Amino acid sequence: MKNSIVILLLILLSALLIFSFDFIPEQEIVVDSTAEHIITKGLQETGSLNLVTAILYDYRAFDSMGESTVIFATVSAIVLLLSFKTLPVSSQGLSFIVKNTFGFLAPFIFLFGLYVITHGHLSPGGGFQGGVILGTISIILSIVYGSAYDYRKYPPKTKTLLETGGALLFLFIGGLGLVLKGHFLANVNPLINEPGRLISAGVIPYINIGIGFKIGAGLAIIFYSMIQKTYVEEELKS
Amino acid sequence: MIYNLVFLLLFMLGFYTILVKKNLIKLVIGLNIMEAATFFWVMALNYREGVIPILKTGSKAAAVVNPLPQALILTGIVIGASTTAFLLTLIIEINKYANVIDLDILKGLRD
Repeated sequence: MKNSIVILLLILLSALLIFSFDFIPEQEIVVDSTAEHIITKGLQETGSLNLVTAILYDYRAFDSMGESTVIFATVSAIVLLLSFKTLPVSSQGLSFIVKNTFGFLAPFIFLFGLYVITHGHLSPGGGFQGGVILGTISIILSIVYGSAYDYRKYPPKTKTLLETGGALLFLFIGGLGLVLKGHFLANVNPLINEPGRLISAGVIPYINIGIGFKIGAGLAIIFYSMIQKTYVEEELKS
Repeated sequence: MIYNLVFLLLFMLGFYTILVKKNLIKLVIGLNIMEAATFFWVMALNYREGVIPILKTGSKAAAVVNPLPQALILTGIVIGASTTAFLLTLIIEINKYANVIDLDILKGLRD
């Protein structure tokens, strides 16, 4: 009964939307001058081969800072809601084979995350994507080795330090642009600027590193809070 | 265009989930489906023939897809992940205090 009313309502809404699709202009008619400017001049203006990274960390870097602030606010809210509770260890870890295999693989996952972060201006990737890969290491650690191990190996203090450090690095680079070029988050070029090199594109790689560690640590903190990973005293001593 | 219809189908599926389902986690899933439908639609609307927007040094620039919506959707995905995480946290808290995540029972309509 109620289902049929809802479905009828949705069909009505769909019909209205289908009529409105006719008013969307065709791609050929729209002159997208912003995209044209970025495609033709983006490489010379920013030195970044990856145009998406050029938009995210140069043209719209201030917006990316707001985005990382959203992550920061989410992490703060989740920690505020879920912390201050002590529960026993939530998982004891998987079998011997899984533990050894992950111990072998973990450095490579870390290396891959670092590669994606630092090559954000040359190849697909960047701070957000690489940060998520770094965040997975902590998540897999607490699944495979049990929650107490991750607590001992990477305590929440380290993660908080990494997160705030990344945010502060971003702010510091923004201030650097303000001092050297006159406006916030300007793309200053302290070193050689030859497109295609690892050290190029001005401050974009450094912003990527800051964002990457911030996102990785933030995701690890979110997961840590969600599974209520607290420790039993005896286990911590052993 | 076919992508308009696909967007409509996905969006309405998510909307239906939000309107009908009573399980709080299913509501979050519905919200995520709507979100994904919107991202897909923005990307599909702005598509044009071309290679990925990563230029190569030396060679002449070929026709490149529009990088602007990709950057915008990247922002959207990050915000979507944040809101999902926060909603799931709220559900964890609700489950801890009421020991149930069904909307009807939470509102006292059903035992």
